[in-house]
Formats: sequence, structure tokens, C-alpha cells
Amino acid sequence: MNKNYIYLTLLLIVLAGGLFLLPEKENHQHLDPEDLMWSIVQPTRYVSTDQVAKRIIEGDPTLELIDVRTIDEFEEFSLQGAINIPIDSIMVPEYQDYLGIEDMSAVFYSDDDIKADQAWVLAKRLGYDHIYVMKGGLNCWIRTIIKPERPASTAAESEFELYSFRRGASMYFTGAEIAIPDDESKQKVQVARKKKTVVAEGGC
Amino acid sequence: MHVHELNPKRTMITLVIFAVIIVVGLLTLSGPRLKYALSPEQTIELVTYGEGMVYPYELEDVLNGSIDSILLWDIRNTFEFGRGHIPGAENISAVNLLTPDNIKRLEQLKKDGMAVVLYGKDQLHANGPWMLFRQLGYDHVNILMGGYDYYMEWQDMLGDTYYDDVYLLGMPDFDYVEEAASAVMVAEEPSGTKATVTVKRKKKTVVAEGGC
Repeated sequence: MNKNYIYLTLLLIVLAGGLFLLPEKENHQHLDPEDLMWSIVQPTRYVSTDQVAKRIIEGDPTLELIDVRTIDEFEEFSLQGAINIPIDSIMVPEYQDYLGIEDMSAVFYSDDDIKADQAWVLAKRLGYDHIYVMKGGLNCWIRTIIKPERPASTAAESEFELYSFRRGASMYFTGAEIAIPDDESKQKVQVARKKKTVVAEGGC
Repeated sequence: MHVHELNPKRTMITLVIFAVIIVVGLLTLSGPRLKYALSPEQTIELVTYGEGMVYPYELEDVLNGSIDSILLWDIRNTFEFGRGHIPGAENISAVNLLTPDNIKRLEQLKKDGMAVVLYGKDQLHANGPWMLFRQLGYDHVNILMGGYDYYMEWQDMLGDTYYDDVYLLGMPDFDYVEEAASAVMVAEEPSGTKATVTVKRKKKTVVAEGGC
């Protein structure tokens, strides 16, 4: 056997051994900065409070609400079914288990949308998909869903439809009942019947 | 029996070519163009301590020229920039922030000791690009709190924003528990909330006449 074959084999083994000496790349599992910027400039990550409310009410099983405020704040008040991942704990593996679930869309929220957006940028860098930010956060939630404002009487029909949805949602989330004044509720329904003018006659 | 076994030189040449290709390949191996300089943990620290935030009242010194080491970058699109922008700002739309030319410029600015302040429509708009620049290690990139919308509102009295706190984000505006639990009694809506549109028709003045 030719000796050169042995040299070739040795050379390849040495080169392969060199792979062990390569510096460990920290970024290899992270999203490339350029791709991250591309995702950042898309406004598609924002969902409105109305969309979130609708999905909670409909019991959408793919909705995963993630509260990025502190544990104390979360325990005091949170949205129905939300999970708490404080933004400073986003690197904790146990918390990250909540992010990569297939077919689930994770919606981040905080007091407004800045902290949630920051958590989004971090999670996106870590390579998670199907993550969203609730635009306006809890402040917007209170303003639009819990205490909706009646649109001006000249507003478009669609705004009234939205208002009617929000009032319904408000009742759903606060457990409020519609207060109906007593006197009005007892009003009798009067059916006005048209008088027959012609007496029925025989024959066709 | 292979032909080249009869010619030891040939095997040697193959071996050398092999080695050269591998070595050249390893040497020219290029990493990604941009690399993260901050780990996710460091980024969390950055956003928690609110570093790199420029308050709207700090703009006054930039605009009247007493600070000339700060550049304003407007990351909105060209159309919005054309409709109005902070005086002296440059328009670099968010999609163009990472172009090779722009990165080169950013590095030059860092060497020259200049700082950059990003602003978008609101703070949220510039938040992502600002965080990304910081994560790439460009720690001379800052963000304008409140963004352009807030600036527009206060442009004639920027100094007074010192006493305002509307631009401070990340705080609750309500006591959520109180708002949600006070079981707001929603009063029954009076009917006819929507204004009815009445169409006024012009009266016909001429009685229809027969024929054309």
C-alpha cells in the first residue's frame, strides 16, 4: 500500500481534530441580526386589545397570553389565562418552555407596549416564532375593553358595532350586569293591530 | 489496481491539492456580517435600567446648537419625513438602518465621538431598531422618548416637558384591580344612539310634462 494514503488519512484526521479547537460560537442559535431587523420593521407583530378580547371570549385554545410584568404586579391583576414571564426571567429555561409550543401564538403584554415589545425583540433573537405584542398593553385594555367610550353620534356604523362589542366584552370581563331602570322594564308591550276594514265575505 | 498507484507523484499532487483546498476554505470562512456584542442577559439589563434614553427636554440643547455631538436619525419612511421632521434630522428609514454603508458610517461616528439619537413616530416605533443597535455593540445609539408625535405636540416649549410625564412609558395608568373589579354597571343604552341621516330632497319645481 502506498505510504501517501497513510499521509492523506493522517492529514484529514489532523484537520478534523482542528474542529475541536474552533471557538465556541455564542450566536449560532440566535437569529441573524439582519433577519431580526427585518422582523422588527414589520408591524405584523401587533395585535389589538379587541382581537385579544375576542379570542379570550371565544375560548381560542391557541392563544397564549404572556404577562411580562413583575410577579407582584401579575398576582395583583392579570388577564384571563395569562402566564407570567417577567422580562428579566426570559432567559430562564423553565420559562422558555412556554414560548416554543407548536401551533400556539404567544401574545406579550405589559402596562403599555414598550416592555412587551422589548421582550418580543429578545424572544425573537432567541429564535422563537409565532410571538406577538398586544398594542397599548393593559392601559389600552382598560380604556377600550373595560371602559369603552361611546362614539360620537355622527360616527360611522362600524364604530358603533365596535362599541357594542366592547360593551359586551366589558360585561364579560367585569361580570357587570346591565342595569335596567325599573319603570322601563315593566313597560308593557303594546301590539297595535290593524283593524279589519272589510268583513269577511263568503265565497272566493 | 488503480492507475495512480503506479505513479507515486500523482498521489502526492492529489494530497497537496486536497490540503490546499481545505486550508484555503478554512481561512476564507466568513462569519455573519453583523454579530451580537451583548448577550441576551446584558440586553435585559440594558432595558431594565433605561440606559440610552434621551428625554424630550434634552433635545432643546441639540436644536439650539449648544450640543453638536449628537445626530438625529429619523427612522420613519421618506413620505412621513417629507411631511415634517425635527429640524436637522436625517432620514434613514428603518429598513435601511443595517445597510453596509450605514454601518460603516455608524462606526466612523463612534470613532469621532458622535452620538446618534433614533426617533420614530412614537417611542415604540424606534424601540426595536434601538435595541438591535445596542445588541450589536453600538452603544452610542440612543432613543428619543416620546418620539416624533410627542415632539410635535411640544415643539415650541420643549423645556417645559421637564415637568411632563406623559412620555414616560412602562407604567400603569390605572389601578387595574379597581377598574376591573368595581363591576362597572353598564347602563342600558338609550335607543337611537346613532344619528339618523335625513336626506333632504329638492322639490321638483316643474311638473312633469309629457313627451321629450
